[in-house]
Amino acid sequence: MQATIGAEIRLDALTKSYGDNLVLPGLDATLGAGEFTVILGPSGCGKSTLLNLLAGLERVTSGRILMNGREVQGLAPRDRGVAMVFQNYALYPHMTVAENIGYALKIAGVPRAERDRRIAEAARTVALGDYLTRRPGELSGGQRQRVAIARAIVREPSVMLFDEPLSNLDAQLRHGTRMELAALHRRIGASSIFVTHDQVEAMTLADRILILNKGRIEQFDTPEAIYRRPASTFVAGFIGAPPMNLLDAIAESGRVRLASGTVLAGTGANGPVTLGIRPETIHLNDVGEPVVVDYVEDLGGHHVLAAHLEDGQSLRIVTPPDRRPEPGERLHVSFAGASVHLFDAITGRRLADPAPIRSEGVPA
Amino acid sequence: MPPSFAGRWTPFWLSLPMLLIVALFFYIPVYLSFWWSFTLERPFGGGSEFVGFQNYARVLSDPIFWDAAWRTLVFMVFGSTLAIIVPLILALAADRMVPLSHTARNVLIWPKGIAGASIGVVFAFIFNPFVGIMAPLNGLFPGLWNPGSDGTDAFIMLLIAHVWNGIPFNFVILLAGLQAVPRSLTQAAAIDGASPWRRIRDVQLPMIAPQLFLTFVLEFTESVVSAFALIDTMTQGGPGGATRLLVYKIYQDGFKGYDLSGAATQSAILMVFVLCLAAFQFLYLEKKVRYER
Repeated sequence: MQATIGAEIRLDALTKSYGDNLVLPGLDATLGAGEFTVILGPSGCGKSTLLNLLAGLERVTSGRILMNGREVQGLAPRDRGVAMVFQNYALYPHMTVAENIGYALKIAGVPRAERDRRIAEAARTVALGDYLTRRPGELSGGQRQRVAIARAIVREPSVMLFDEPLSNLDAQLRHGTRMELAALHRRIGASSIFVTHDQVEAMTLADRILILNKGRIEQFDTPEAIYRRPASTFVAGFIGAPPMNLLDAIAESGRVRLASGTVLAGTGANGPVTLGIRPETIHLNDVGEPVVVDYVEDLGGHHVLAAHLEDGQSLRIVTPPDRRPEPGERLHVSFAGASVHLFDAITGRRLADPAPIRSEGVPA
Repeated sequence: MPPSFAGRWTPFWLSLPMLLIVALFFYIPVYLSFWWSFTLERPFGGGSEFVGFQNYARVLSDPIFWDAAWRTLVFMVFGSTLAIIVPLILALAADRMVPLSHTARNVLIWPKGIAGASIGVVFAFIFNPFVGIMAPLNGLFPGLWNPGSDGTDAFIMLLIAHVWNGIPFNFVILLAGLQAVPRSLTQAAAIDGASPWRRIRDVQLPMIAPQLFLTFVLEFTESVVSAFALIDTMTQGGPGGATRLLVYKIYQDGFKGYDLSGAATQSAILMVFVLCLAAFQFLYLEKKVRYER
């Protein structure tokens, strides 16, 4: 497949509302040329709406969308140079695979011979060569997905849009397709925008992840930065499996403590804070904070414990597989050396990094 | 295992009332009609005489029969085509959610509740050359519109009433078909660069082929057999036989002219024609219809 030049996409005060329902209250972002951007968020956060606005399937309420500096928000989908892969594939059931892939070329008036050549090439790219004369109804889910991708890449678009394209595949196929998509993106060079609610897809595919919450951008950064420095409690609670623990704590006289009095970190903040601790950085010991185990998930390589502190706050802990705690069991956990994050208790925004504690109760 | 009935005869008893009704009002009349077409029936009873194919020879050599048959064919082609195309356009508009489409959906279904004869009476008023909607035009161009004396005008009036009568049912069926087309398909076509017209032609119409086929089959039969009420209330076959379709001629011959054998013969011919038409549609056209989604 011939490499195309991806377009840089700029959102400028982009809003979308349905009647009185403001879905996107105003987005500003720049998606780099050739970048793989994943838009991540829970159901109803506006991520599919954003994708439809980029595709031109819905009208923007106000603001601008620029692709390589060109305003496109008023243009029809066909004039934007975008291709899209739909969640349910959206293949034309009455056309063969070849006709599905070549439909855009046919409309664009591409001559027959060139059309056939490009269809064959796109089909080869996604390993579909043998199925060109079949109809979508005769294909498996994975094969239909490939047809949908071939239909998108055959036009050599500068922007590829993906609307949760893996959610209809079974787990094994999803994993394989994920790797193929990443490879495909590198090969064709288009800017890819991929909408999903699955944080694993986001972490593995994205150059940068745009996290949406109620139509607002919570954070737009690389997967690593999002994992290491979540900008808000929303991001912290969304990324990671299991996600980060968020505990209510008090910051005073340079220290963050739990209701039990246990000191967790040193800080310059004061007042109520939310403390984030990754489950995999908490470990068991004999003298630390007491917790009661509620539920144990044995994942083979490690256990995930759902437990609660004495004040009732729930806590997830990842423990090594050598000992399996039982529900109801009383354990002690240490936060020494844990990666801790501080958030404003009210706004949920990230605060200045706290100082981790070296051993029980002693800030570094 | 399929569900079974306790007694062997239970299914039979359960379906008997329906079977009786169908036999009484369909199979027996059909049989009698065919039987009478081979006999000479006396109009006031009192025996019949077997005459073989003489009735057929007489009917088929009658130019008035061929005239009515030709008009029936013209009415069938134009009437059913329009009675599908007009609701199709309305359904496409309603599916695209043009303004007022919700209201229109309701309004367009109401005519279904009106009997053919009532429609005939109303349309006879609407198209009255002196007080109807064409009256102002007649004032400008005297004699332009007069279904009472101009055969073409009468035929057009009959067509319009028939098409109007067919809108509700065909509209509902076609709109249901369009609404069942996944929205992502038309969206995909839009991204592939298809204009709205292209999307209708390449995606929506192929996807509603089953619904189009159904309306096509029903409408063709309907246009041949059910124009009776409209003709009887609006034109009584006139002027000069311009709106005398076969179904009305059968009635005139049988009940006005007391030519029972001739009417029965024409009924038989009409039935065979409709049967052949339906057979052709199902054996040939249905093969081209794809039901998969």
